[in-house]
Amino acid sequence: MTHAATPSATESASAPSAGHAGGSGSGSGASASAIAQRPALAALDDATLAAALSKMHLIRKFEETAEASYMRGLIHGTMHLSIGQEASAVGSTLPLAVTDYILSTHRGHGHCIAKGADPALMFAEFFGKENGYCHGRGGSMHIADIEGGNLGANGIVAGGLPIAVGVGMSIRMQKQKRVCMVFFGDGATNEGAFHESLNMASIWKLPIVFVCENNKYGMSMDIARAMAVADVADRASAYAMPGSSVDGNDLAAVAAASSEAVARARSGGGPSLLECKTYRLRGHSKSDRNLYRSKEEIEAWRENDAIRRLEAELLAAHRFSEAQLREIEHAAQRTIESALEFAKASPDPDPRELTRDVYAQ
Amino acid sequence: MPVEVVLPKVDMDMDSGIIIGWKVAEGARVRQGDILFDIETSKSVMEVESPGSGVIRQLAAVTGEPIAVGTSVAWIYDDDEATLPSFAAPAQASAQPAGTQASPRADAAPSPAAAPSQSPAPSHSPAPGEPSASGEVRATPAARKLARELNVELATVIGSGPGGRIVEEDLKALAATRQSTPAIVALAADPVEQGALVPFNPIRRIVAQRLAESMRTVPHFYLSTQIDMSALRDLARRIEANVTQVAVSKPGVTILIAWLAARVLAGHPRLNASVEGDAMRVHAAVHIGIAIERDGDLVVPVLRDAGTRTLTELVRDFAQLRDAVRTSTIKPAQMRGGTFTLSNLGMYDVDAFTAIINPPECAILAIGRTQDTPVARDGQVVLRPIATFTLSSDHRIVDGVAAARFMSALRKAIEHPDVVT
Amino acid sequence: MSMPNDVADKATAGVAAAEAGTRELSYAEAIREGLAQAMEADERVFLFGEDVGVYGGAFGVSGDLFHRFGAARVIDTPISELGIAGAAVGAAITGMKPVLELQFSDFVTLAMEQIVNQAAKIHFMFGGRASVPMVVRLPGGSGTGAAAQHSQSLEAWFAHVPGLKVLQPSTPYDAKGLLLAAIDDPNPVLIFEHKLLYKTKGPVPADAYRVPIGKAAVRRIGTDITIVGTSIMAIRAMAAATRLADDGIDAEVVDLRCLRPIDFATIAASVKKTHRLLIVYEGVKTMGIGAEISAMIAESDVFDFLDGPIARLGGADAPLPYNPVLEKAAVPQEDDIVTAARRLVHEGRA
Repeated sequence: MTHAATPSATESASAPSAGHAGGSGSGSGASASAIAQRPALAALDDATLAAALSKMHLIRKFEETAEASYMRGLIHGTMHLSIGQEASAVGSTLPLAVTDYILSTHRGHGHCIAKGADPALMFAEFFGKENGYCHGRGGSMHIADIEGGNLGANGIVAGGLPIAVGVGMSIRMQKQKRVCMVFFGDGATNEGAFHESLNMASIWKLPIVFVCENNKYGMSMDIARAMAVADVADRASAYAMPGSSVDGNDLAAVAAASSEAVARARSGGGPSLLECKTYRLRGHSKSDRNLYRSKEEIEAWRENDAIRRLEAELLAAHRFSEAQLREIEHAAQRTIESALEFAKASPDPDPRELTRDVYAQ
Repeated sequence: MPVEVVLPKVDMDMDSGIIIGWKVAEGARVRQGDILFDIETSKSVMEVESPGSGVIRQLAAVTGEPIAVGTSVAWIYDDDEATLPSFAAPAQASAQPAGTQASPRADAAPSPAAAPSQSPAPSHSPAPGEPSASGEVRATPAARKLARELNVELATVIGSGPGGRIVEEDLKALAATRQSTPAIVALAADPVEQGALVPFNPIRRIVAQRLAESMRTVPHFYLSTQIDMSALRDLARRIEANVTQVAVSKPGVTILIAWLAARVLAGHPRLNASVEGDAMRVHAAVHIGIAIERDGDLVVPVLRDAGTRTLTELVRDFAQLRDAVRTSTIKPAQMRGGTFTLSNLGMYDVDAFTAIINPPECAILAIGRTQDTPVARDGQVVLRPIATFTLSSDHRIVDGVAAARFMSALRKAIEHPDVVT
Repeated sequence: MSMPNDVADKATAGVAAAEAGTRELSYAEAIREGLAQAMEADERVFLFGEDVGVYGGAFGVSGDLFHRFGAARVIDTPISELGIAGAAVGAAITGMKPVLELQFSDFVTLAMEQIVNQAAKIHFMFGGRASVPMVVRLPGGSGTGAAAQHSQSLEAWFAHVPGLKVLQPSTPYDAKGLLLAAIDDPNPVLIFEHKLLYKTKGPVPADAYRVPIGKAAVRRIGTDITIVGTSIMAIRAMAAATRLADDGIDAEVVDLRCLRPIDFATIAASVKKTHRLLIVYEGVKTMGIGAEISAMIAESDVFDFLDGPIARLGGADAPLPYNPVLEKAAVPQEDDIVTAARRLVHEGRA
């Protein structure tokens, strides 16, 4: 069990806390040989965990590779990296079916991969290529995989929240059993759209899971300075919906909380607000110089790395061997490398087709 | 290929000149021979004519600084020719030799100083479609299009729109008159509605402006003399047969007077001169303007080289000018450059009148009607056809005696035309 | 204020006014009938907005639809314009055909983000892989004494946004026909309805006909001047044209109907014929529809056909005032159109 490794857990408000939901401390103090698992981890079978870990690696390596390509000048524009937030994206989406919907954010690569997107098509989009997810029209901030249930990343903070309400209405009116999960950051909860959306979702009991990835900063603004309540989850009470706050770097905890919310939504119980407390290890965007936070804070969170934590816990619980874990990682590495090659070899869009998709025909 | 406009050498010992002002605007349509700009040399001010036809662009700035002879100061492009970046940019104000003027941006916007505002007031006679100071003719796009189709020079059309703007209707009216009789033209007659405020048409505006200025700034004085017209009448009758064989119209009295006056003027250069600032320019050639009324407007076509043309040539020239006025096809150049003007109101039963000098000329001759008048001849009272001629002179150049000598010479010439020929 | 039959409609929609089943309906009734027919024909269509349910809509447009179709398809929403605009987007991209009513078009300012950043861009931004077949109905315009925040004509803002379609019906016939066409359209369509027109009547066929989007209507054929009007200004232009005819001025009146896509071909053909153009619209004149049309003329071969300046009549450079005299003065009236047209034709002045 790795919670003991959580940095400064008792020292600083800025430090990540153990999850509120999902059996925090259940394995606390376990010995190296302990098989005792937290119920949240035990609830996930090996195949699920292997797939989840694989996706976390894919996200991490995808972003690291994207960052390297960016720094070599191969990608223009900017990008918002979610390195450090992989457990939140993968854990939240773990209970979702392919037919369920997600709506993502500007920091959305993780959600995209977690929902099953093909990294090759994502890279092609990053490179602005014609065979990218959006034919090079959207780029990093606007990747959508409609067929995979990803209704798109959104460049506007809280932009996806009202859309989620409509998706929820749509599911209801079409008498589907789908669920819509909408991601947003802590900053979005200060937008009017957040409040309007939670209210409508609640009065109409729409099948929506609101997932706030609270990474502590809205660009440079510390959430403690920007928000009147302590936790985003506290805001749920204003809309008479369940709100829970979990350790966003704890895959199992996130998955457990999400499962509960998804099940409620799917069964007609209405929306929930799930807050995943996490941290972006990189700056807000590529132009961020990290003036608003300390190296120590970043280092402390690096020690709390979600992937490392999960792997350590899986080893400790004897769910996977070191060799198995490395193979999962290497497979992810190979996938990303070939995705990159695919993107580089892909054709550029034709400027004559600039206005092609302005209107649907 | 665009035609280069260079600062020309117009004087033997000239190596540079100053552009005083452009007579055309950037992008204006010019024809070969149109006056493009005035240059000042150490000796004089000269008009520079266009070396080609087309759209003029890249006008050099008017800076008051000398520009070397041969320096490119503008380019004239074919209508649809793009401004070519490979050609030299407008010359900047300097006396550098040509070739050192190349600018990296040949398509640079014209300097705002290339200056409608600085160009001198037009010094030629009022004309239809009188270009404004910036050289443009105001016309609607539809009128321009129709003018292209009808092959009509817009500068010859009188606009009936606000501010003299030529509108499509003006062109249609012109086309209609062309198709019918060329003799009688109903060109945008002034809609003189009683009590209504009718803005000046462009001709009227310019006439008003220039004559008012003339009266304000030119010290006029007047001399009258009565001239026996019988010899001139005889001459007219005698040459009528000859002339009609080669010309389209009979020689009128006016043209005979012009022909004689031109010859008399050769001996009285001060009456064929202009004031330029604090100087006087005596013109080598005699170009006589003839005031004509057209639809309530005054137009003054110019008989070129009236002093050297034969009478037959003058008759033909005048007939052509008069037709051009009637059909509104007269070109501004045909109304420019007069050195002396005749105004004959005799046909309207006016006995005598004084005329206002048409600047920059220094004299104008007003001719009254010819009437049989009892005069003393050889101790007898006889009836002779007498007309009163009144000369208006610019006293800055012409003194009373000079004017009197001219009138005396003119009287002799008219009364004894055979001596002159 | 009924209008003569629409020349273009007859040709394009194939619906003759004389056809059996044509009744006199008000503009509001025509919209309601269109909504009902769309909802009957397609269960994906639903109506939502503030007070559209039991109340019947702030201007009575939805009327009895709540009782006919039930609360599941005629949905009252909280006063959350941004939220409901986004909800329309979300429903549209997942298979529904929402028709959203924003109570006053002024309130679209609260919904700009979803309409401009999301609805207009999703199809393009996602490489054509999603589309947003939503309709937003926006009651707009002045003349009701509702003052500065409830009287604006903001349509030109949206005509500036690629990805949106913007309609302004002026007749009951068009109000229904364009609505049905908008509901069919796979793109976000904004319909600016004029509040003063809701009670005006005109012939409306009973069937579910469509008026094609992007086609202006020539309401009156003339030779001396083209008057392009939008929404109620097309109505005023027609009244003005009747008076101008007494002066011997034969005006052609073009009802634009759609700002985006704009039917420039119809305007161009008319101006080529009349050589003069007056553009009349209620939105603020500065930087408005008239400027765009004027520029399109100037950039096209129609320029060569102009025989005078183009004139624009539009809203004053002021917020809409409350005082009724001031309110009238703030937007073009019939007299203004007559005066401007006379000046253009007789004096060649804008």
